Amino acid sequence: MIALAIAQQTIKEAFRRRVMWIFLIIGVFLISLGPVFGFLTPRDSQTVLRSLGLAAILLAGLFVTIVTCIYLIPAEIERRTIYTVLSKPVQRYEFVLGKFLGGFATVFINIAAMGVVFLAMIYFQERRIPAEMFKGVMLTFFQMMLLAALTIFFSTFTTPVVNFFLSFGIFMIGNLTTVTESLTTKSNPLVRGVGTLVHYLLPNFGNFNIQNSIIRPQIEIANEQVFLRNNILYAIIYSSVLLVLAILIFDRREV
Amino acid sequence: MAVATKIYPATVHQRFTRLLPLAILAMLPIPFLQKSLDPTVKQVQKGSENIGQVSGIGNEFLLLPLLGFREAAAGLLWVRCDEFFHSGDYDAILPLVRLITWLDPHADNVYITGAWHLAYNFTDSSERSDRRYIPPAQALLDEGIQNNFHIFDVKFEKGWQNYDKIKDYYAAAKAFRLALETKPIKGSDDYPYGAPLRVHHILAHTYEKMGRLPDALYEWQKALERSEQMMMSKLTEEQRKQVEAAKADMKPGQLWSERAEALLQKFNKDFTTRQLREAEKHNYVTAYQRWRDRYTTEGHSKNNPTRYPAVLMPPPVSKDQTPRPWDVAFQPRIEVVRPKVFKISGFGNFGDGARVEVRIMDWDYKEREIDPKENTFQVDDTQTILQDSISVRKSKFEREMDMSKDTKMYNFSKPYYKIVLSYNPRSTSPHLQDRFGWSGEGLTDSNRSHVYIDRRPELLGTKFIEGQGGEGPVWDGKTIPWDRYGQPVRMIRVTYKIDMEQVMGQKPITEKDIVPNE
Amino acid sequence: MAAAISIRGLTKKYVDVWQKQEVIAVNNLSLEVEEGEIFGFLGRNGAGKTTTIKMLLGLIFPTAGDATILGKPMGDNQVKQEIAYLPEETYFYDSMTGWDLLDFYARLFRIPEPERSRRVRMALEKVRLQPEAWKRSIRGYSKGMRQRIGIAQALINDPKLLFLDEPTSGLDPIAHAELRDIVASLKYEGKTVFLSSHQLADVEMICSRVAIIHKGKLLRTGTIKELISGERTEITVQGKELQNGMLAKLQAIVPEVHMDGEDTLRLTSDDSERVAAVIDLVRGAQGKIISIVPHKRTLEEVFVETVRKEDNTI
Repeated sequence: MIALAIAQQTIKEAFRRRVMWIFLIIGVFLISLGPVFGFLTPRDSQTVLRSLGLAAILLAGLFVTIVTCIYLIPAEIERRTIYTVLSKPVQRYEFVLGKFLGGFATVFINIAAMGVVFLAMIYFQERRIPAEMFKGVMLTFFQMMLLAALTIFFSTFTTPVVNFFLSFGIFMIGNLTTVTESLTTKSNPLVRGVGTLVHYLLPNFGNFNIQNSIIRPQIEIANEQVFLRNNILYAIIYSSVLLVLAILIFDRREV
Repeated sequence: MAVATKIYPATVHQRFTRLLPLAILAMLPIPFLQKSLDPTVKQVQKGSENIGQVSGIGNEFLLLPLLGFREAAAGLLWVRCDEFFHSGDYDAILPLVRLITWLDPHADNVYITGAWHLAYNFTDSSERSDRRYIPPAQALLDEGIQNNFHIFDVKFEKGWQNYDKIKDYYAAAKAFRLALETKPIKGSDDYPYGAPLRVHHILAHTYEKMGRLPDALYEWQKALERSEQMMMSKLTEEQRKQVEAAKADMKPGQLWSERAEALLQKFNKDFTTRQLREAEKHNYVTAYQRWRDRYTTEGHSKNNPTRYPAVLMPPPVSKDQTPRPWDVAFQPRIEVVRPKVFKISGFGNFGDGARVEVRIMDWDYKEREIDPKENTFQVDDTQTILQDSISVRKSKFEREMDMSKDTKMYNFSKPYYKIVLSYNPRSTSPHLQDRFGWSGEGLTDSNRSHVYIDRRPELLGTKFIEGQGGEGPVWDGKTIPWDRYGQPVRMIRVTYKIDMEQVMGQKPITEKDIVPNE
Repeated sequence: MAAAISIRGLTKKYVDVWQKQEVIAVNNLSLEVEEGEIFGFLGRNGAGKTTTIKMLLGLIFPTAGDATILGKPMGDNQVKQEIAYLPEETYFYDSMTGWDLLDFYARLFRIPEPERSRRVRMALEKVRLQPEAWKRSIRGYSKGMRQRIGIAQALINDPKLLFLDEPTSGLDPIAHAELRDIVASLKYEGKTVFLSSHQLADVEMICSRVAIIHKGKLLRTGTIKELISGERTEITVQGKELQNGMLAKLQAIVPEVHMDGEDTLRLTSDDSERVAAVIDLVRGAQGKIISIVPHKRTLEEVFVETVRKEDNTI
């Protein structure tokens, strides 16, 4: 209940920030640009529209998530609003939980907004909305949810600038799934060790990149159910772990 | 200096000892989830391991694909490719095609366009395409088929390239059949259908080219069945009932009822569908007619008591002589007018509209075998091959093959060359097949060495069908095993072996250079 | 009367890891604040006032010592139901309206509707924020209005104990006076106020007891009366005899003697007997007493005196 009030407050504050709107508008703009590119290549306008749209959602979502979540907690400290909140009967864990929920909801609203525009473009072009596109947008959300959790986690003990590079860097490393996976089988024990650690323990953002196969919806993914389910589970479990760690760190944080 | 330790409230310690084990416990399934995801992720992101192989691509470009924007990057590159197509910058296209298909291995249209580009667009100054690009084109299509096995498109393109460009009807039929086996994808809005109707059509035509009429007829029947289903599905319940009623008086074995057809044509608004249906029927009838005339004893000509009653054989010279096949009396002449310029002319009683196929190539020319993993569209620059054809008018043919201008394509770096001139009734036009038969049954040459019989099992055509007045099994409308009921193709072929001096025109090419056909 | 706040040896050390330097923000502070009093916590900027309050509220953690608030250990979540805090220079969520902001804070106390709306209205009325500003966003508020909202958010839970950090600094005189009166009125509602300030005139006017903190150390505590007790009398004397040994004689009685020109002297003393002795001496020497002015000491003087003395002894 208190966490929800804080989450609600967090969403309101996030949507006030101009920089978030800039990225959201860029995203929507890129998505609506899809048909223009499609016009350039009559051979496969559908693919261009779909891939560009999903990429725009991912790219804009990435920046929206990072710039939003980086400041959720530091802004409260900088503007001293956190003093008024924590001196009320609000447990620190409730505050962190509220920030996580608010961050997730903000990311969700952003991705959903872009998703709606994207699906509308698809509908405009193809006169129907394929389920695959919906799945693509959904997986992007879970990817961004994990990133949001990571960024908020870091924000409990780093400055926003450090956090930006940290979160962005881990996001990039986490996207090298196929590379890190191949490292786990290398013969050099050091390379193998680092590869295994990175591949299995760092958040693996590459798991969610389903675009390649859904843009060509003719392609059947074997075990698609397992792929979707395990990815969603992965995002939720990993985010929960980050939430708990964030709570433990924030418990000792001097504000 | 001692670090000042902070005094935390008791709840902080309690929460720490309670939640930390929980977090560690929750982390345990993560590696296992990752392990279970790995194979699927690999499948979903197929091709990523190849991205780094393309030389000359900067890291900043690779970053985008690695972030999961692979298909977006591929899409934008494809836009660039399109510009190159328009500006005719064909050499720039190949590395892009390679990169795009590695970035987005499901870009079926890129495989298709890329293979088409390889096979058709690299030409010499007389618009003859460079045959050395055929193996990489085929390998690219094979790769595309492998990566997009669930759709018919790339398989279809492989068939079409073999049908139209390479004229390997066996390979074409194989690819088209593979395309037809593609099942519709259940649950996919995007791809609820398998191979479309036109694959049946082109496969039927392929069988015709192969002289495999029963198979062609079978394919036309399949097409007719499907097109009828498609047309029926568009009708209202009431209209459907009317068509069904009209079909009631059909006899067994009858493929369509004229009354029902008239109704289908009336009820369907789509002009293309209606035209297509008519074309299918026409093609079926034509093929059936040819089969019946050429391979059954029905409608047997009294003048032609041979096993090939419908083949127009020359009338016998005397009464007790049985008709003999046409003697085409092939007499080629090859002259080197300037170094590397071959004037090929001669006589051949093939009939107007026939084409003499010409191949000039390395004596030991062999198609390169392409490792699909290493297919970088490179061709062997030391290889020389020219393929063309010369049309025959009033039994004469003549054409100059200038191989002196395009040194990159024809570099003549080998000591010996092969010139092959041939005429194949299988790939000729129907009115000539009426004279010679599909498999050259009515074709011969007074010079026996010119007659070449291709006995490869996959090229066996339809044998004379017995039962309807002849011998052999009655065709029951099902495809018949290829290797059992076919007949080999008889064709005219002359092979020359020449050396470099002859290529340069320092020594004439004569009949003495003719070697046995391979 | 029970202690609302009881601090025992509270210490906060910061260690600068890079320069290996130790900074003691609060040094072994012990203090008692009685229930129902307005307690002034005085100190210069950086003296450790805010650090102390933040430790008491559990926002930061002490390195030694202990404290109880309303009988519960500091930082206890339960006790937060009964307390309130107005931090210095808070920006609040300035996109919200005053009403929405208070509604948000009220939700943190789990106050249900319609009680919540009633509380919000009461708090806004109490701090005398014009009703037309209630539904305007805080971004457009003046500094005084923001401080009013700040006090309103502190009153939303009807607390027993309020921590107010510089509530009146930087305000125009009218707003300053109004806010000071609002704080003063809390006393009549039986609330305890822990007022951190360097607005000494305000503190002297509304506080019953004060503590002076300097460089993390508690220097003095006591009631205002105790601190400013003892009148100080200033005598101005004129006479030709001043040069003839009179000065030395006067200095023997009162050490603080200032020359004002050739024949005028100013003397100050807080001892009435010495003042009488000075008068006798001047009269006996035919001198002229121009004025005898008794001076009441101000808290400011006491504060400056205390801090200077501390600085000199170090």
